[in-house]
Amino acid sequence: MNDSAIEARILLAGALELDPADVADDAAMGTVETWDSLAHMRLILAIEAALGRELDPDALFEIASLGDVAALLESANNDSAES
Amino acid sequence: MKWTPGQPLALKSENFILRSMRPSDLNERYQSWFKDPEVMEFFSADTNQSVEQMHRFLKTFDNKYRYNLGIFPKESGNMIGYFYLYPEFHRRVGRTAVLIGERDYWGKGVVIETRSVVFDFLFEALGMEKIWAWVDKRNIPAIFNYKAQGFQKEGLLRGHGIGRDGKRTDQYVFGLMRDEWRAQKAEKSE
Repeated sequence: MNDSAIEARILLAGALELDPADVADDAAMGTVETWDSLAHMRLILAIEAALGRELDPDALFEIASLGDVAALLESANNDSAES
Repeated sequence: MKWTPGQPLALKSENFILRSMRPSDLNERYQSWFKDPEVMEFFSADTNQSVEQMHRFLKTFDNKYRYNLGIFPKESGNMIGYFYLYPEFHRRVGRTAVLIGERDYWGKGVVIETRSVVFDFLFEALGMEKIWAWVDKRNIPAIFNYKAQGFQKEGLLRGHGIGRDGKRTDQYVFGLMRDEWRAQKAEKSE
């Protein structure tokens, strides 16, 4: 598991108020009972705090799984490494 | 359903009753929502309107072309929020807006549960073929709910709204076709 995947799991667990170990690899909207509208807001705000910027509006709509969060963080890390 | 257009409407979900609002619903609790900046952050309404203006506005809902449905938990009977419904019969397109004024009910799935019966009413009873809505691009809980109910993001209206700070804000347009709603329901019932 790379750093982005670990960070994604920690951020999502915090938003869902779960232990990171209890977040399944395939966790997604609709499969996690506690992933409600407020949890989603906590998740987005936590990602933005981690990245230090507001997310692109499209990202707010696209994030729907642990994998999406990890991919977003990975992409952001790659962008910052290149700049 | 037994209901005559123009007459007060009542819908039921598992835990809530939605019914046409009455003048007596414009109580102090309802009025307090308009004074709560967080409740009204993304809702397009005049937060400085007087009680008389609220009563005049309520009279504009005719239960035919415009609906203002209060949301009442079956357990308490106290209104916690409301819907606006605006069906356009010539195009068979309806628009909805919802506000949950009572913070204790935030994050509890109220919108998804109650809006489902609203969609059934608009699609099946009124014959709408599409439902659309707009939402501030930073209204994350609302975006979550639209996505959860199968809406597609159809566009971004630049500077279409005004935030509580007076600055212009971008708004998403979301849309849901009747066939998509029916397919979604069929899939869930399997």
